[in-house]
Amino acid sequence: MPNNLLLGKEQLFSRRQLLKLGICGAGVAGTAALWHTLNAQSKSIVKVPPLAIAATSQTTNPMQMLRNFDYGVVKQENGRTVREFQLTAGTSVIQLNSAVSYNVWDLNGRIPGPTLRAKQGERVRILFLNKAGHSHSLHFHGVHPAEMDGIRPVSNGSAAIYEFDAEPYGVHLYHCHIAPVTRHIAKGLYGMFIIDPPTPRPPADEMVLVMAGYDVNDDSHNEYYAFNGLPHHFMDNPIPIYQNQLIRLYVLNIIEYDPAVTFHLHANFFDVYRSGMTMTPSEKTDVITMGVAERHILEFAFRYPGKYMFHPHQDAIAENGCMGQFEVIADKSSQPPRKTS
Amino acid sequence: MKKFKYFCLTIATAAIVSLSACNNTPTAENPSAPATTSPSTAQVTEATTHSGHGGKAKININTAILSELDKFEAKLGVPALSNKIQASRPYASPEDLVTKKVITQEQFDQIKDQVTVQEVVLTGETKDVDYMTKLGLMKGHLLVAQELLDKNLPKQAEPHIGHPVEEIYVDVEDQLNERKVKEFKTTLVSLQDLVKSNPKNAKVKTDFTASVESVDGAIAVLPEAQRTKPGFVLQVINGLLDAANSEYGAAIADGKIAAAIEYQDSRGFVVYADDLYKSISSQVAQSSPDANKAIEASFSDLVKVWPSAVPPAKPVKTPVEVTQLIKTIEQNSQKIIDKSSTKAQR
Ligand SMILES: [Cu+2]
Repeated sequence: MPNNLLLGKEQLFSRRQLLKLGICGAGVAGTAALWHTLNAQSKSIVKVPPLAIAATSQTTNPMQMLRNFDYGVVKQENGRTVREFQLTAGTSVIQLNSAVSYNVWDLNGRIPGPTLRAKQGERVRILFLNKAGHSHSLHFHGVHPAEMDGIRPVSNGSAAIYEFDAEPYGVHLYHCHIAPVTRHIAKGLYGMFIIDPPTPRPPADEMVLVMAGYDVNDDSHNEYYAFNGLPHHFMDNPIPIYQNQLIRLYVLNIIEYDPAVTFHLHANFFDVYRSGMTMTPSEKTDVITMGVAERHILEFAFRYPGKYMFHPHQDAIAENGCMGQFEVIADKSSQPPRKTS
Repeated sequence: MKKFKYFCLTIATAAIVSLSACNNTPTAENPSAPATTSPSTAQVTEATTHSGHGGKAKININTAILSELDKFEAKLGVPALSNKIQASRPYASPEDLVTKKVITQEQFDQIKDQVTVQEVVLTGETKDVDYMTKLGLMKGHLLVAQELLDKNLPKQAEPHIGHPVEEIYVDVEDQLNERKVKEFKTTLVSLQDLVKSNPKNAKVKTDFTASVESVDGAIAVLPEAQRTKPGFVLQVINGLLDAANSEYGAAIADGKIAAAIEYQDSRGFVVYADDLYKSISSQVAQSSPDANKAIEASFSDLVKVWPSAVPPAKPVKTPVEVTQLIKTIEQNSQKIIDKSSTKAQR
């Protein structure tokens, strides 16, 4: 493992040289299919309410982003699994409410960018294409060599390849790292990056919640806030979940300009897996403080049906859009899961 | 070289065998397995050393400018191939040219020795175009910053003094050192600090002049013959216009100019591109009168889109219309660039 960490550009180069000569592609279907089968099996035990998500070309679609994971394209190269992702930065306009539209930078036409998901030990390769005018870059959290750190500007119209080993497991993030980073992030160039542990976590209804802020008048102060891109969306469209179903939330705080926010869940307590880097929870609470770029896995199940809010307990921030609710659907057949005491 | 290929194929075959053996077992479940199956450092280094010899200079299909991609277009005789290669970015490997259906396998076989997706050391004219384009973007930023300072709008000027450092300088730093240009990051940064904290200070004016002179000086290290050659300058102009196009698109929402910074960026780039064209237009008029006419007409329409550094209440043209004008300039200039690069090759 440590040897892999030290692989420099030269080694990456030649790895490709080898591929050119014909290893590429062999055995791709096998391993990819295997993981998906495993996933499908575990999902069959998990109860997820059907969702009516409007088919839309919108840059923001919080409900769709909720349970959507990008597993990339899997290849076998030199006996290793390589997961290849494509991210293209572009520009678009989002409608924050009926009166306010806002220009953002998007990744693959969405904000937040796709939730990339790999497994610890795999090779991850990200093809980044910048079509968004300014120079941008992609910086991944995790462990990797300096030249893969994504702080070099990638100029308009050109592409860069970031390649490294997926480690350590946890819930991480990626974002543009061109100064002023506050502006480049706040205008949309960020997303979640999940590295799954070697032994999968127990089956659960998994979802992604990304908290972000919008500074619509360039005064270095957010006027609006949102979960998964759109203010108030999950208040107006509660997230349906089943009673007693284990819920696993991957929560990221990427709100620029405000030093920290909390995440609070109504009428319940959740287990906290800090940075997603453990398999055992460190604490149980109903409110957790998150600085900028902090992210955790939170697990819980609801015992009683009904609607339950979640929001930062900085209530002004909640009131300006960072607010949502779960709608717990009664499930007579279900037993309380082991986790709930 | 031949020997090396043989060596590699042996590894490849071995790997395929072990891979197909792995297909039925969940090796990926084991975190330590992938690490141990990766090639040893010795093999890897070997490959690098040998493949570096012989062969022509490679072209990075992910980052190369159009005129560089023209080498493939000329060799394969595929019309507009350069643009197709650009449009299908990004590429994970050279073979993606085939998988993305940009060219056929047969065509790929003819050029594969020259294609790469890895960073290559730029040389010759390509390197100079890249260098001057980046400095041109800095110049555009500073032009618009100057206008905003003159209008007594230091807050709006400030990002345009910052962007040359934040978004471009790092990218061109190696080239500046190599070309023995005295560093001017410090000058730009201190000017930005001053505009931020004390915009009324008389020193702003002198610092600004110093900054502009630094960028001009950096451009001036290119030989004059280069800087005045239409085929060269047009490549720079196209780079600037491409960035301006994206920025203008990013500035407009709901038929209004919603993002002043992006509007201003695009203004700066277009104004500087127009300046550059004026410096070569008489030469172009002589050699390619039709192309010159089309480019001049498009430029005169284009500059009107930015009536002032402060955005107008209503956009003069839609992003689509701006894209069209820029495309016209690009297409017409390509003829001139092609001519000059074939000449250079002879
Ligand atoms: Cu950026």
